[in-house]
Amino acid sequence: MKNIMKLIIPLTMFLTFSVNYAFANEHKGDSAKGAELWASSCMHCHNVREPADLSKRAWKYSMNHMRIRAGFTGKETRDILAFILETKTTKDAE
Amino acid sequence: MTKMTLGITLSISLSPMLFASTSEIDELKNEVVLLKQMMKELKKSNNELRAYQNVTAKNSFVPASHNALSKLEASIEEIKTNLDGNEKSGSQLAGYASFGWQDTQNNDNEFDLVQFSPIFHYRYGNMFQFEGELEVKVEANGDTEIDLEYAAGNIFLNDYVGLIVGKFMSPIGQFVQNGHPSWINKMPSTPIGFGHDGAAPTSNIGVELRGGLPRFANTRSNYAIFVSNSPVFGIASDGDTIIDASGKTSSNGVSKTWGGRFAVNPTAGMEVGFSIASGDIAEELASGKKIARDYDVVGFDGAYNYDNFMFKGEYVKQKVGENVLSTLDGGIWKAWYSQLSYQFQGLNLEPIVRYGDYHNQEIKRKQWALGLNYLFANNVIAKLAYESNKDEDNSAVNSKANDNRLLAQFAFGF
Repeated sequence: MKNIMKLIIPLTMFLTFSVNYAFANEHKGDSAKGAELWASSCMHCHNVREPADLSKRAWKYSMNHMRIRAGFTGKETRDILAFILETKTTKDAE
Repeated sequence: MTKMTLGITLSISLSPMLFASTSEIDELKNEVVLLKQMMKELKKSNNELRAYQNVTAKNSFVPASHNALSKLEASIEEIKTNLDGNEKSGSQLAGYASFGWQDTQNNDNEFDLVQFSPIFHYRYGNMFQFEGELEVKVEANGDTEIDLEYAAGNIFLNDYVGLIVGKFMSPIGQFVQNGHPSWINKMPSTPIGFGHDGAAPTSNIGVELRGGLPRFANTRSNYAIFVSNSPVFGIASDGDTIIDASGKTSSNGVSKTWGGRFAVNPTAGMEVGFSIASGDIAEELASGKKIARDYDVVGFDGAYNYDNFMFKGEYVKQKVGENVLSTLDGGIWKAWYSQLSYQFQGLNLEPIVRYGDYHNQEIKRKQWALGLNYLFANNVIAKLAYESNKDEDNSAVNSKANDNRLLAQFAFGF
């Protein structure tokens, strides 16, 4: 297994580094998709944190943290953040 | 006639003056003087005001006010930017803390846990994030123990790849990397075999790639692959033979560990993961010489939440090969657990049941735990649990392996 791992992992790393920034884009998150992911993914590990629990600023750090921890793509991270900030704005206005 | 009439009219008109006293005339004179003085003062004030206006106009006093206002508006905008988290770079503090009590069979009951785990985040836009977690605990003798759980820079290369450099939690399985914080772990204790020096690796120092993958057939998936310094094999201070699989800044002269995890989300609310790692494990002989043994890890994990039910399960196995130069036997360290919980939303209560099993060449233990949590908030939790421990062959060096425990804990995340 050791030899297989030594072959697969460097190859994967090479392919990964070969990918350029074309995948990353600055599009705004889709809050509808974000709501779906928020409802179905967070509970895998922990109780759901309400949008009102953290400040807008703290959510931006936390979502980067969750991108690493939960294995979200960049787009999924932006979608969830869009949902949280949109919901939060509504709640703040209440 | 006309002259006479005019004379009479004048006489009548001037008669009050003719009858006015000298004092009244003096009063009138004084009033006139006062009025003249007031007029002079008014003129003086008016001149001063005009002079002041000329000076301020020359010194551009009014535009200066506009500048100050502009600066104030810019400051407010900057504060708003920072409050909204739109600054280019910045930092924040998160983390969790917990306080516990336990009543262990054949032992005194005691307040056994004070833990504070601050997590520092530094962010540079959406391109980079550093994360570092300290685990600060008070030991039995009152000393404070501080461990660096992880400290790693995360570079988001694109939407699907994050490059992580430093000390990171082992991506093998789920509990160690995601379930260990006390406000996340639904039980006051760690599943047997998933703590430090158990069957599950805890952390690595090296390089990791991880992220989410593009959807395939509308199925989400994520991955982590890493290369790190090797773990260490040896005898702990309590006499147990252990695999110390926490991150080290030395490879001890043996091959690196390579590994990773791949997980899919077949349906909403479900994740199934598979992990492997392989490499060498280092052992230091009594002579001081360091030797290498084969080291392999395999793990499976699953999580599923439906309605208010939450199920988690995990299996991990570490295998250490033999080396004729050593007196220690290699072998298999393996552990698994499954856990089911249900949240009564209106009551904020959450009963949990967990079963775990841990085997190695010295230990065969089973553990049942039954718990009840009260959720003050989703991140502020009071836990109460009874844990039943059974050491099957009683050969463990640690004679407390059979002791059952009642545990209470208050934990929160921030």
